Amino acid sequence: MIHVRDLTKVYKDLSEEQFIALNGISFDAMPGQVFGLLGPNGAGKTTALRILSTVLKPTAGEARINGVDVIETPDLVRRQIGFVSVNTSIYDRMTAWEMVSLFGQLHGMTDEYLQHRMDVLFTRFKMNNIRSVLGSKMSTGMRQKVSIVRALVHDPPVLIFDEATSGLDLLVAREVFSTIEELKDEGKCVIYSSHIMSEVVRLCDRVAIMHRGNIISQGTLRELADQYEIDDFEELFYQLIAANEENWDSLAEV
Amino acid sequence: MCWKNVKLIWFRELRDQLRDRRTLFTVVVLPLLLYPFMGISLVQITQFFREHPTRIWIVGRNNLPSVSPLIQDGEIGEEFAGVNERQLTELILSEDGEQELQDLVSQFKKVSENGSAGELIDQFVQRQMATKQADLAVIIPKPIEQCSSTGEQPEEANMFVFVNSASDKSRIAYQRLELILQKWQRAITDEQLAQFNLSVESTNPIRLLQSDVAQKVERQAAAWSKTLPLLIMIWCLTGAFYPAVDLCAGEKERGTFETLLSSPANRAEIAIGKLLTVAAFSVSTALLNLLSMGFTTMFVLSRLSNVPAGGILATMGPPPFQSMVWLILAIIPIATLFSAISLAAAAFARSSKEGQYYLVPLIMGSMPLMLLPMLPAAKLDIGSSLIPITNLMLLLRGLIEGNYNEILPYTSLVLLVTVVCVYAAIRWVVHQFNSESVMFRASERFGVGAWLRHIFKDRGDMPALGHAMLCGVLILVAKFFVGFAVTMPQSWTEFTIQTVVVLVATVGVPALLMSIVLTRQPRLSLKINLCRPSFMAAGLLLAFCLHPAFSWLSKLVLYIYPPSANVDQMNQMMSGLFDNMPSFWLLLLIFAIVPAVIEELAYRGFILSGAQAVKSPLLAIAISSLFFGAAHAVFQQSIITFCVGMLLGFIAVRTASIFPCILFHATHNGLTTLSMKAQSLPNEHGFRWLFDISADGAIEYHVVPGIGLFVVGCLMLAWIYRETMSRLERDRLEKRRLRLRREMTVTSTT
Repeated sequence: MIHVRDLTKVYKDLSEEQFIALNGISFDAMPGQVFGLLGPNGAGKTTALRILSTVLKPTAGEARINGVDVIETPDLVRRQIGFVSVNTSIYDRMTAWEMVSLFGQLHGMTDEYLQHRMDVLFTRFKMNNIRSVLGSKMSTGMRQKVSIVRALVHDPPVLIFDEATSGLDLLVAREVFSTIEELKDEGKCVIYSSHIMSEVVRLCDRVAIMHRGNIISQGTLRELADQYEIDDFEELFYQLIAANEENWDSLAEV
Repeated sequence: MCWKNVKLIWFRELRDQLRDRRTLFTVVVLPLLLYPFMGISLVQITQFFREHPTRIWIVGRNNLPSVSPLIQDGEIGEEFAGVNERQLTELILSEDGEQELQDLVSQFKKVSENGSAGELIDQFVQRQMATKQADLAVIIPKPIEQCSSTGEQPEEANMFVFVNSASDKSRIAYQRLELILQKWQRAITDEQLAQFNLSVESTNPIRLLQSDVAQKVERQAAAWSKTLPLLIMIWCLTGAFYPAVDLCAGEKERGTFETLLSSPANRAEIAIGKLLTVAAFSVSTALLNLLSMGFTTMFVLSRLSNVPAGGILATMGPPPFQSMVWLILAIIPIATLFSAISLAAAAFARSSKEGQYYLVPLIMGSMPLMLLPMLPAAKLDIGSSLIPITNLMLLLRGLIEGNYNEILPYTSLVLLVTVVCVYAAIRWVVHQFNSESVMFRASERFGVGAWLRHIFKDRGDMPALGHAMLCGVLILVAKFFVGFAVTMPQSWTEFTIQTVVVLVATVGVPALLMSIVLTRQPRLSLKINLCRPSFMAAGLLLAFCLHPAFSWLSKLVLYIYPPSANVDQMNQMMSGLFDNMPSFWLLLLIFAIVPAVIEELAYRGFILSGAQAVKSPLLAIAISSLFFGAAHAVFQQSIITFCVGMLLGFIAVRTASIFPCILFHATHNGLTTLSMKAQSLPNEHGFRWLFDISADGAIEYHVVPGIGLFVVGCLMLAWIYRETMSRLERDRLEKRRLRLRREMTVTSTT
């Protein structure tokens, strides 16, 4: 499971000016669930997921993956997770097979198990025809598939998807959705960030709506609908963000 | 560190780079093609130059002496030039009746009366040369025979040669003509000596016979010993830089870095894996260049050995085999050092394009260290052994030349310095990879207006690191330019005013102004805090206790880096000033008290306060000490002042006040000034237990009391450390309290 408490991230620029990307967010994500981080661009979703994947260090707060602290033992955390992001590209000068194999070896998998696991995954994602294709020759969909297989090769208990369907066509996006649903059914803890409401409605059991580094509301989709008495989730999302934006502006004026 | 991960990353990066056509071209194809291409071009160019004769325009041919005629049948006489030279020298002869000759001669006569050739004549001749397509003009305005027949030196010039120094062809023509004229003049001299019944041999009382005792191999080694180490350095640097940019900035650009960072490999393993890749390419580039250049040189030299133009190159010969062996061995540490530096610099770049911009500063930064060994007086000694890159180049030079006895005593020191530098560079790479601000540097939109607004509007209580650096650089720049403006003082009054004004203007004013403009608490920024009287007393006593140690350090530095003649001259001038000083107290005021106050305000005050923005106090002290050392113009003095600065920085950080530092600084400088006037002390002074006065009037501390004082000084420093521990603890708690309050404010606002 993922346990996040008061997670804060402050960036500083050249002139020492501070930008609060995360302002003490807290949430929990359980195994066998898809937890959605929903928010407009710049809400802090990617920063939160980068901290969970140990790429960034938090300024304050606590984050644990399966009980392992991301600050104290990042090496152990990385063995527990699979991270797929719109930014996590694949190497242009490596084939799909080489790429996945490299990450399997980095995870310390034995050659036999790695070979077996890769055969299974390449077959499952219908990628046997691109085994020897270089990254530079792949389409966006193929690249994202390789990226997902790379994240799944060591069979991690926690999977982090950061806007994983951004830029993908409907067919590939649906394949990604199916994969995430299958992973959920396998009992994996999946955290999924997006700014598209329909994706979240389809996939997520619980969601946290983020804006300007804060979680402004969280719960199951039903709980949120009941709380705000709006059944249309897109409208709910829009109104929550708009209301928070107004509060923010009035605070800024003060 | 998991070496299996390092190996995996290393092999991945190697495979990745080997699949990159650009890298392969730069590292493999270019060296293999470049030198053969250059060699073929050189051979072609040499032949091209051989076929170009020189055109010499001669005016006043009939004024040449009839004996030993220089020109025969419109060509240079056979006795003054060989067949080849005659073919390459085409003469354009003017006729007697030409108007231009008359004009030129008449004008030359006028100019000759004034004693110099005028610009008008030069311009006129240049136009004529262009019209006649001549490379050189020789004008003989009046008969030479009449002058020389008297057997005396002509009173004025009787042959004018016009050369265009801006034209290569003209300069070559002059060189050819000069050789011809030397032979011709010798022939005329011999003729005249015969007329006066003097033997030709009487004009040559000395006959030189030069003999080169160096073996052919030694000559070749000497010729290559300076060039090859420099080339190796450049190849290693360029071979490392481009893969480094691709492996860091390129990965950031392509978005694959995040993929790697989220893998089980930690940052250090990633950094080392990439470093090994860059080093492998750096070694390959240097090796391939070396081999390609070696083979090409052998080929070109074999072709040029029969060509006169290739004479110099031909005498060099190919690089000796042993030099190649030493170079190959030296490539590994050099490549590792440059690879680490390149990788650390490239890690900072956000894109490949930005990464390319860092190459020039990198080359410019390392070039002085590479060129230092090229100086004729450069040799491997203790001083040069401590300078990275320079020491390795000098060691290589010694190895190639076979001077093993000369370099052997310093070899271990060179290797130690190189290992330390390589280790430091690798640590820097790992630090860069661990630094979030480096790896995920956001694009900086820098605007002067916004920056100025930020400086005034958002200024903090204390200066930032940038402010400290700016202050240090401003002081250095001001000192540099003022150093040119001031002249050596002629009197004590002039010296006093100049020293004080320069110190206040270049050091005091920038620090004071910046503390007022850039901070909200100028007094705290300058560390003008009252502290316990015991710390003040400790500052004063420490200067006494540690003065013998600093005196020995000074001697050690002067032993390692002996002062140049200029520094000696400057010291003598200063001593001269001291001899004429009106008052010893004035001397103390100028050399001890004023610098202590001004420099402490600037270096331990503003600069150190700003540098303390970095987390490590040691790094902050080092930054302020570096500026303090660099501000002293003499290199040897800079090393000593850096060490003094480290000690003063420690006192300033622990006591949070500059007053103990001022007392230390003033006392230290006062003692140093006093030691310069030690010869004026009576023979039976009361400090014979501590020091003697040497023949040149300097103070020589005795070893045992000196060490004893040093130990006491160390104990005092330990006491300051212990006594100030509680204050630092309070500071840390105060900072924590402020941070929590800020976080609570942010939370309540949202």
